[in-house]
Amino acid sequence: MARRSGPARPRQLSIVLAQWCPHCVPLSVRNGRRLARRLGVPLRLLDIDRRGENAEADRLVRKFGDASPDYLIPQVFLEWSDGRVDPLLTGFSEQVSRTARAWRDLLASDWLRAVRAGARP
Amino acid sequence: MPAHTLPRVLEVALAAPGGRCYRHCERPVRTRRLRSPLPGTWQVRACPAGVVSVVVYTEWVRRDLSQDVLHLLRGHTVPRSLVHARDLRLATRHGPELGTAAERFLARARPRRGIRVVYWRVYPFQGKDGAERRLFVCLRTRHPTPVFFAAPSSATAGDCPSCAAVRRSTPRRARKRR
Repeated sequence: MARRSGPARPRQLSIVLAQWCPHCVPLSVRNGRRLARRLGVPLRLLDIDRRGENAEADRLVRKFGDASPDYLIPQVFLEWSDGRVDPLLTGFSEQVSRTARAWRDLLASDWLRAVRAGARP
Repeated sequence: MPAHTLPRVLEVALAAPGGRCYRHCERPVRTRRLRSPLPGTWQVRACPAGVVSVVVYTEWVRRDLSQDVLHLLRGHTVPRSLVHARDLRLATRHGPELGTAAERFLARARPRRGIRVVYWRVYPFQGKDGAERRLFVCLRTRHPTPVFFAAPSSATAGDCPSCAAVRRSTPRRARKRR
């Protein structure tokens, strides 16, 4: 297999979510699409209640995210071309408007500007 | 300032004002800061009747705080068995999701670390008699620390078992007869 050269680039945005969670649908799906578009990567939705998706959702959360016996959703991860995975956002346990504020802050962050400019913060 | 104490800029960034008491009284939820033997910030969000929406413990550290919070909460809850590990949910807050001021503050901080938050949320459940129970908090000063307990939805913080125990152990003064 040929070894890739050059700096790592964002490869995929993943959101661990559930359809019944108001912090997830539609709020995080809509903002996740927006973020993925700005990063130029595909968006992957992992439903914790869907067989075939929940194992990968659990793996991401247990390995890179905020794991608890009954973990918080949504959890948002950015996967990089070199295999690194960065946790970006975990839903707030307070009202939905607080998670909405976190999305607004993430979309307006220095971090996003830096990644779009080719940096790897 | 101790290393784990949250600076003001982070406290502001983490604040979650507003909210109503969901499926109970729909009255505004108030956030009360509690004293804690742990170095972080401990807050309870409850309605005027004492129904708890969520208890939040925040510390600026890397480690998982769940076990510390579990022990702390069990010491304040009657009965202790009301506190289950499955009801504690961990979150790590990173700079980009907290607004520009907090993001820049955290970017400069060394060593680099996120902010750990543990939420304790007890959803309404059925008691042995089949009636719905909710988590309440009593913040009265009859006892040195807040007391969490479960009671029917129609109860108030005044139904606190610790306050009742104090009342039972304190002899009533005889009424003066005219």
